[in-house]
Amino acid sequence: MLEVRKLCKSFGGLQVTRNVSFVLEPGERRVILGPNGAGKTTLFNQLVGTLTPSSGDILVQGRSVMGLSVSARAREGLSRSYQKNNLFEDLSVRENLMLAAAAGQGKARSIWRDSFRDAEVRETVREVAQQVALTDMLDMPVRSASYGSRRQLEVGLALATRPRILLMDEPTSGVGPTMIESFHRLLHSLPRELTVLIIEHDMDLAFDVADRITVLNFGEVVFEGTPDETRGNKVVRDIYLGDWQANA
Amino acid sequence: MFRQSPARTLVLLATLAGLAVYASAGGYFAREIVVEIAILAILAISLDVVAGFGGMVSLAHGAMMGLSAYTYAIFSVKLGWPPLPSALMGIGASALFGTAIGWITGRTTGIFFIMATLAFGQMAYTVFFKWRWLGGDDGLGGLSRFDLGWLGIKMGDSLTFAFFALVMVLAVYAAAAWVLRTAFGRTLTGIHTNEDRMRALGVSTVVHRAQALGFSAMLAGVAGIIAAQHILYISPEMLVWTVSGEVLIVVILGGLGTLIGPLLGAVIFVLLKHEISAYTNHWHIVIGILLIATVLSGGRGIYGQVEHWLTRRTQPAGKTAEAPDA
Repeated sequence: MLEVRKLCKSFGGLQVTRNVSFVLEPGERRVILGPNGAGKTTLFNQLVGTLTPSSGDILVQGRSVMGLSVSARAREGLSRSYQKNNLFEDLSVRENLMLAAAAGQGKARSIWRDSFRDAEVRETVREVAQQVALTDMLDMPVRSASYGSRRQLEVGLALATRPRILLMDEPTSGVGPTMIESFHRLLHSLPRELTVLIIEHDMDLAFDVADRITVLNFGEVVFEGTPDETRGNKVVRDIYLGDWQANA
Repeated sequence: MFRQSPARTLVLLATLAGLAVYASAGGYFAREIVVEIAILAILAISLDVVAGFGGMVSLAHGAMMGLSAYTYAIFSVKLGWPPLPSALMGIGASALFGTAIGWITGRTTGIFFIMATLAFGQMAYTVFFKWRWLGGDDGLGGLSRFDLGWLGIKMGDSLTFAFFALVMVLAVYAAAAWVLRTAFGRTLTGIHTNEDRMRALGVSTVVHRAQALGFSAMLAGVAGIIAAQHILYISPEMLVWTVSGEVLIVVILGGLGTLIGPLLGAVIFVLLKHEISAYTNHWHIVIGILLIATVLSGGRGIYGQVEHWLTRRTQPAGKTAEAPDA
């Protein structure tokens, strides 16, 4: 579904992504772990298209998306959520989801039809709102919603385009334990055919939802395996879990 | 998101009716003023579409209007085409010009976008200023109005022409309000609010912005046709950037992102100009003070401010759902 081949990215003399390769099977849940500065976000930005790799290739369903812009990649079914909420602040929760659903259904451009009155768009909004537990807040202006609700909407926007691949950049950043728990539930409730790639530093989330875990350090893939294998691996322990256990 | 509220429809129809009565009851001078208001209102509405709803503050709207007027003159005067197809060519040329500006300025926003539109506008101005075939800085005369004699309408009559201009204001407003309530307009507002996110959702924002500017320029082109047919003479002065600046003042005065505000702004602007000029040559000072007051009181503009008061009154305190229509 998503394949990354020998991806490299340097900023001047600094190599931030070194020869990264991995393959995501359809429906796979993959978590990319790594300590701060491991190059997770740089890798993420290359996947979504805001950064151009120095070399290597990115394939979606066997087709290279290297030449495609951010919006063209989104139309290929690649959807992202942001580490820092990036919403339509002036609009209501419903309007936010409507814009995303309409874009996902290719209904964002007509000068004859109103996407906000479209039955299919409305149905998607209803479903996604339920998924991210925002049904009761649909008419609330985004800027007066709580941080937790905005975090949910952040994921809701990414889901409302009905993507094939969902890319999430630290989805639990800055939310409390109860939120994290409901977030685990949300991830488990996603349709099984949806391929999900999550960039995280939260170990619990990785072990809970991942089918496979890729560990990044200094821009390099140092380990890839199932959560159990990850737990038992010495290299991972040294560079990441050691640090984590010390903190815990 | 744009909303054509009943209050806005009421203000629109009342204003147009008021202007129609003023034109009928007043003499020739009143009719001239009504046409002047209509041209400015159309420009202001067309600018509000991109500035208020797309975040694209343009200083090229005067040039768009002028390009339409000149194209109309080229086809009708120089090539001998009938007025109606010539007018369509003018509006089309203006729409193309707007689309091209939008396309080329692509990802520039804010002050850089304003400067880019200023540059394009001044380029167009210079072209017509120097172009001797079209009269250069002397301008060009010999234009004609639409021939609606087959409908029993005499366009040569000043009152008829004033009514025609008001009907065009209504048509332009309706077109703008229509488009803003379609998927295209929703997405435009989305781009205005958060372009980065809209792109991540799969919208080619550069193309969308270019199309929006093209649509806006098309409406500005309508103003150009009316202006050309009004005094049957055109000059490069129509394209100079201060015309665009005046339109921007009208939009901000009336209420950016309200669509109906710019119409009110145009009425107030033109009436003030004529009333105050009767006493002093410094009428710009009064407009300036009014503009400063508008900006300092929240920048909602005259209509936006009234709407703000009304919604605050009708909604219980504390639950002021900030739902700006922009």
